[in-house]
Amino acid sequence: MKSLDNKLMLGLLAFGIFGPVLFPDYTFQIALMWIMVLFAQTWDSMGGQMGYNSLGNIFFFGCGMYICTVTQVGLFYDVGDYTSATGSNVTFSDSQYFIGLGVGILAAGVGASVLAACLGWTVFGLRGPYFAIGTLGIALSAGELFGTWDWVGGGSGVAIPVYPGEADHKSMFFYTLCFLAAASTFLFYRWLFSTRFGLAVNAIRDDEGKADAMGLHTLRHKTVAWCFSAFFLGISGALFGNLTGFVEPLEVAFPTATFGIFMVAMSLLGGSGTFWGPVVGAIMFHVIKEATWTYFLGWQWVALGVIIIINVVYFQQGVVGWMQEKWPEKFGIEVDSSMSMEDEAKEAAQ
Amino acid sequence: MSLRTTLLSTLAIGVAAFGLSAATPASAMVDGDTIVLGSAISFTGKYSTNGIHAKNGYNIAVKRVNEMGGVKVGGKSYKLKIIYYDDESTPARTAQLLERLIKQDGVKYMLGPYSSATTLAAAPITEKYKIPMIEAEGASRALFTKGYRYLFAVLSTAEQYLSATVSLAADIGAKTGKKPGDITIAMAFENDAFSLDVREGVLDEVKKLGLKVVIDDKLPRDLSDMSATLTKVRALKPDVLLISGHSKGAVTAGRQIQEMKIDTPIIAMTHCEAAKVVDKYGPSADGFLCPTQWSETLSSTGKYFGSAGDFDRDFKAAYEGYDKSVPYQSAQAAAAVLVWKEAFERAQDFDTEKVRDAIAATDMQTFYGAIRFSEAGNNIAKPFFLRQIQKGEYHVVAPLSYAVKPIDYPRKPN
Repeated sequence: MKSLDNKLMLGLLAFGIFGPVLFPDYTFQIALMWIMVLFAQTWDSMGGQMGYNSLGNIFFFGCGMYICTVTQVGLFYDVGDYTSATGSNVTFSDSQYFIGLGVGILAAGVGASVLAACLGWTVFGLRGPYFAIGTLGIALSAGELFGTWDWVGGGSGVAIPVYPGEADHKSMFFYTLCFLAAASTFLFYRWLFSTRFGLAVNAIRDDEGKADAMGLHTLRHKTVAWCFSAFFLGISGALFGNLTGFVEPLEVAFPTATFGIFMVAMSLLGGSGTFWGPVVGAIMFHVIKEATWTYFLGWQWVALGVIIIINVVYFQQGVVGWMQEKWPEKFGIEVDSSMSMEDEAKEAAQ
Repeated sequence: MSLRTTLLSTLAIGVAAFGLSAATPASAMVDGDTIVLGSAISFTGKYSTNGIHAKNGYNIAVKRVNEMGGVKVGGKSYKLKIIYYDDESTPARTAQLLERLIKQDGVKYMLGPYSSATTLAAAPITEKYKIPMIEAEGASRALFTKGYRYLFAVLSTAEQYLSATVSLAADIGAKTGKKPGDITIAMAFENDAFSLDVREGVLDEVKKLGLKVVIDDKLPRDLSDMSATLTKVRALKPDVLLISGHSKGAVTAGRQIQEMKIDTPIIAMTHCEAAKVVDKYGPSADGFLCPTQWSETLSSTGKYFGSAGDFDRDFKAAYEGYDKSVPYQSAQAAAAVLVWKEAFERAQDFDTEKVRDAIAATDMQTFYGAIRFSEAGNNIAKPFFLRQIQKGEYHVVAPLSYAVKPIDYPRKPN
C-alpha cells in the first residue's frame, strides 16, 4: 500500500510540475483539472467519508468567489461604484492587485468556513435526502440572492481586475495556485483521515446514533468537517473567479447543475468513500469531459449522461472501489480468509 | 494486469489524451492565404436563437468579403475564415473557450460572443493576451467602463434600448393632457448584464421626466413564465409595459400577452425581430414597440453589401426562416467582420498591436450605419431606433428624423 501510495503521489506531483511545461497550451485545462480534484475531495470528505450527501457544496465555491472579488476591489475602491454599469473607470496597480488577491483568497477560505459553521447549526438536523435537498436549496437561493444584490453587481456580475503582468505569466501564476490548492487539500485530508477525527467521521457515516451514544459529539464533528470542506472550496472559488475573470451569480458562481453535480459524479466515478477514489475520478472525469467537448461537440452532454448512468447503475463502487474489491491486499485491506460468506451469514443470524 | 499498472495506465491515458491533442498543430493566425478569426458563441442554451442569428451574420460577411477578392495585405489577397465553439450560453464556458481559441487554435483576431454576460467574460481574456476583439452583441455599458484596450463594439449601448419609449410615452401624455406623474409604467427585466443596463436607461429617463413606475419585476432565470407580472398588469392597468429578456423573454412575453389579453396601450420589448414575434403571434403582436440597432429601411450604404435594403434582400436569400425580417443581430455581426477587413487593409500588417490601432482609427460607412469608436471602444457614430409592428410589418417610428410612419396609439391588437 505504502509504495503504491507514494508512487501515485509522485506521479501526480510530477504531472503537476511538468504538465504545464510539456503542454503549455493546456495550462488552463490542467489548472481546471486540479480544481476538479479539489472539488471531488472536499465533497467526498462529507459524502463518502461522513455519509452526508451535500448537493449544495457549490454554495461555498460561489461565496468564496464573491468574497475574494469584493475584497480585491473593496480594498481600494468603492464596490458599488465599481460594479455599476455607469461606474467610473478604474485601474489597479501591481501591488494593489497582488495584495488584493492574497487577502482575497484568504478571506474567501475563512469566510466560507464561517458560513459553514453558521449553516451547520441548522442543516445538520437533517438526514439523508432531506440534508441533500436542504443544502441544494441553500445553493440555489444563494444564486438568486446574489442575483438581486446590486452592490455586488446583481445579475450583471462583476469583472475581476485584470492581471498586471504578461499573459503567460498569469496562466502559470494561477496554475501554480490551483495546483497548490489541490495539493494542500489532498495532504490535509490525508493527514486528517489518519487521525482520530477521521475515525469519528467514519463512525458517523456507519451509525450516527451509535456514535452519539458512545459519547461522540456528532454535531461538532460534522460542523468542523464541513468547515474544512468549505475552507478549500472557498479558495477554489476565489481561484476560479480569477481564472474566468468575470463573476456572475447563476452560471459562474453558483453553477448548481454543472459543477455542483460534477462534484458528486466525480466522487462516485472514482469510488466514494475511498481515499484515492475522488482524485482518480476527478482526473478521469475531467479528461473525458474535455475530450467529448472537443470531439463530440453537440453530443457532449449525452456522453456525460451515459457515463453517469453506467457508473450509477452497473458500477456503483467506482473505479478505485472496484479495484479495492479485486485486489484488497494491494490496498492494505486484510481479508480474513477463514471467514467465508456462510460463516458471516450465520454469525449475523445469531 | 497488476493494480499498479492499472492505476498508472489510467494516469498515462489521461496524460496521453492531453498529449494527443497537444500534438495536433495549432492553426496559425494567418494560415497560408487564410486569416483565421475565432468566436465562442451560443449555439445551445437560452441565447441559442440569437447566437445563430449572429453566426449567420458573421458567415454572410465572410462569404461576401471572400467573393470580393478577400483581404489585401502587402499586395497579397487573403481569405477570411472563422473558428467557432459553442459556449452553451454560459460565461464560465466562454472564458474557457477563449483560452482554447487563443492558446490551442492560435487565433489572434477575435469576434465577440452573443450577449453582454458572455462578452463580459470574454473581454478579460482577450485583454490578458492583448488580442483585439470586435464584438457586435454585447451592449451593456459595464463593458466600456473597465478601460479595456482591445475591445471594440459596433453597436450602440444598452441603456438606449427602451429609454426612447419612455420619452415617447411622456410626449403622448402631454398631448392627451396627462400629467407626467400620472403616467404609469410597468416593467419586467431579465436579471442579466444586458437587461439590467436597459433598466438603468429606463430609470434615468423616468426620473428625468417624472413618470411613475408601478411594477418593477425581474423575469425568472429560465425566462419561461411572466404571468405573475402580467397578472399585476391586468390589475393595475399601467400606461406602458416594458420587457427585456433577449429572444426567449420576448417569445414568452408575446405568448402570454396574447393568452392573457393584455391591452396596455404602449408595450415595448427588446428582441422582437430575433424572436420572430410577428410569425409566432401575428395580429396580437400588432402595436408592439421594438427597439432596434438597425433597420433595413435606413439610407446607410457601404461598399460591401450596398444599402441596408440590399443586405436585407441578400440575407433573406442566403438563409431560411427570415421572411418577415432580418434581425439586427445578424446585421451588426456582419458589420463587425467588415471592420476587421478594413482594419487589416489599413494596417497592412498582421501584428496585433498594429491591427488594434487600425481598428481604433476606424471611421467607415456601412449598410449598418456609421462606425467610429470612442476611447472606451463603443460605437458612437450610430443612432438608435424604435420600430413599431403595424399590420405585421416593422416601421421606424422614432427618432423622428428617421421615422417612416407615425406611431399607432393606443396599440390596437386584433
